Amino acid sequence: MQKILAIAWKDAIIRFSSPSEWLFFIVLPIVFTFIFAGGVPTGDEDNRIRLVVVDQANTTISQEIIRELENSTSVRPDVLSLEEAEEQFDAREATAVLVIPAGLDMQAIQNGTAQLDFRQPPNNLDASIAERAVDTAIRRVSSVVSAANMAVDEAKARGTFESAEDEQAYFAQALELAKSLQADSPERVTVVQGNTPDDFDYDPQANVSAGQLITWVFIPLFGISALFAYERQQGTLRRILTTPTSKATFLLGTISGQVVMALIQMTLLVLFAYFAFKLNWGNPLGVYIILICSALAAASIGTAMGTFIKSEGQAVGLSIMAGMLMGMLGGCWYPLELFPSFMQTIAQIFPTYWSMQGLLDLLLRGAGVAEILPEAGVLILFAGVFFSIGVWRFRYE
Amino acid sequence: MLKLLLIGLKDLKLMFRDRAALLLMLLTPFLLTLGMGLVTGQFSGDNNSGISDIPVVIVNLDNDSLGNALVDIFNSDDLADLVEPASSQDPEAARRQVDEDEVAAAIIIPAGFTQSVIPQGNAAPNEELTIEFYSNPSRPTSAGIVKAILDGFLARLDEMRLGGVTTITQLLASGRIQPQDANQVGEEIGERLQSAAANGNEATAITLNTSTSEEEANEFNALAYFAPGMALMFLMYTVSYGGRSILAEKAEGTLPRLLVSPTNSTQVLGGKVFGIFLMGAAQMLILIGASTLFFGLNWGNTLSVILLVLVAVFGATGWGLLITALARTPAQIGSVGSAVMLIFAMLGGSFIQLDNLPAIIQTIGRITPNAWAMDGFLTLALGGTLTLLSPPILALLTMGILLFLISAALFGRKNLIQK
Repeated sequence: MQKILAIAWKDAIIRFSSPSEWLFFIVLPIVFTFIFAGGVPTGDEDNRIRLVVVDQANTTISQEIIRELENSTSVRPDVLSLEEAEEQFDAREATAVLVIPAGLDMQAIQNGTAQLDFRQPPNNLDASIAERAVDTAIRRVSSVVSAANMAVDEAKARGTFESAEDEQAYFAQALELAKSLQADSPERVTVVQGNTPDDFDYDPQANVSAGQLITWVFIPLFGISALFAYERQQGTLRRILTTPTSKATFLLGTISGQVVMALIQMTLLVLFAYFAFKLNWGNPLGVYIILICSALAAASIGTAMGTFIKSEGQAVGLSIMAGMLMGMLGGCWYPLELFPSFMQTIAQIFPTYWSMQGLLDLLLRGAGVAEILPEAGVLILFAGVFFSIGVWRFRYE
Repeated sequence: MLKLLLIGLKDLKLMFRDRAALLLMLLTPFLLTLGMGLVTGQFSGDNNSGISDIPVVIVNLDNDSLGNALVDIFNSDDLADLVEPASSQDPEAARRQVDEDEVAAAIIIPAGFTQSVIPQGNAAPNEELTIEFYSNPSRPTSAGIVKAILDGFLARLDEMRLGGVTTITQLLASGRIQPQDANQVGEEIGERLQSAAANGNEATAITLNTSTSEEEANEFNALAYFAPGMALMFLMYTVSYGGRSILAEKAEGTLPRLLVSPTNSTQVLGGKVFGIFLMGAAQMLILIGASTLFFGLNWGNTLSVILLVLVAVFGATGWGLLITALARTPAQIGSVGSAVMLIFAMLGGSFIQLDNLPAIIQTIGRITPNAWAMDGFLTLALGGTLTLLSPPILALLTMGILLFLISAALFGRKNLIQK
């Protein structure tokens, strides 16, 4: 037991010999959690197609058009200056641009001189959706004038007006009537939300806190392989061979030391999320069961990696690569529910998937200890398999 | 000059022999890009971003002019690429299709809908009768587009109603027609409106002038975002790796040994810096080549891409030098370099689109070569040309020059070359 402790303590000293280790231990995970929590797509964003609108008229009519566009279910207007709009359109950042030129008012509509400019790239479906939405918006805004114009035309077809004033008065009357009719327009459509199973549990802060915690704990634990490579290179591993220490004791000492450090790191990150995001992690016993099992699984994988890696440099590279890939593919970075279905299945081969599901069960689904035991079991299975590989393949030189 | 080149090429050769380094420089960004492609469904055609052929089911129980007109709109050539309408006579089955996520929405037109809008004879309009839009909440974008098409139809319907009712009311009020003629005139106007609608001749009172630009925008592929993001992230690793070799050579004594040869310190240091630049450029070009080859990614105009790579590597090399100038040991560069790589990747938009991040972070992100180069690569991937690249190119050049000057001053104080 004392040997195990001594080995663990030695590893802690080696690991923290460089102050920059703190950067990876706690600073970077917190920075990443913080930034990621604000920027990961949740699937709840405004998914409407962005339509850049330039309002040079700034009249009631132009504002009404923009308001109608805001009510659209297919586009969302983004009002910019002409310069910005053209820049974005040229840089392909804006799919379509609607320019409302100066002078667009009721008078212009009545005279038939009102015009809007719509710019789009060729053969672009998003742009044609936007054009359709613009058409609907201007139709809504101008239909009262169309109605009044039509009334005047039909009246003229049945005899001329006595004077221009007479005609204007007729128009004004028709316009008022059309406006009141429009205000009372019956609703012709009822929107019903279907019962498609969709609403997956997602809370950006919970998902990101759990996901980053797992990623940042897995990477250094995979780095156990670097520890072995370092000692092998320095020849200290060979020296341990001369002492009455068995392979299993040595490996256990190394692993337990790193797992304890990982637990300290995880506790700090759990506390950070608790204080910074007021995140309720759920059943504390359950959380620690998942965290310990995850750490054991990751440390065992690191040990197994350490048996075939030759240099410290390779080990560092490989643990960063494996940690990031497993984090990403296991659903720690982006919500698993947004993955294609076959990738959701493949994700299950990664231990990160089970850690993440365990923590999410506790965080979002209010699971108790019993419900997270399956995930914990899979993680222990990972730990057992890879630890066995580690012991079997381990060499001192 | 030749010496500079020789030292640079020597470092490039050493890099290709270092398998551990290649793991992080080439394999990791490649695999991460592949992973991003897999999780975002780029390879399975299961992505949510492309909007086309939206499945929708229409239940036309009206079977009268308006219901048929709505069905015709969804089946029109204009919408052939956008929607894929199916028809059904069973509202319950249609709703079930939505619930089972087979279609984006169901549109149920009730029996008697036309009658309720355009009453025949003296029947009063029935405003209670509405079209049901049964929407799929798991496909908000597609459902929104279908709803917008329906709204467009209803807006035209309302326009006709306003025109018709206003005209008749005004004709009656001014005594131009008699009450007993109202119905007949109304029907005449209605027919005229409907035939205008059928001929697609239903202009709005505001004219919409559509102009189409000449150049086609490239189809956007999410990989066009992730591939440069990952490559740029590990470019930062490469430049710190190169910096590490300066300090390592100093520690091993090979740097001072070079000075014994007729090579001055500026040439030696210049050669090392050129080596970092070469490594970065080689890494970026290999990654770009690989993603073009394996993922069929279109990076845009080749010459512009190469130019952008060169200035991006220049800017990144500046950061590598600064880290080297500030660090004391090769190990320090290693860990600080990795930390800078990760932070820059985050701030520069390699993991998350910058637009989604808070404004302050977007501003801070501008100190990274990643953010500027990402802008440039995206512009090129979307079909942009060199003329649009001046902001990122200028920014990266300025960044590189500033960092080179600062690092040179720091190196000078450090007397790096002396034993």
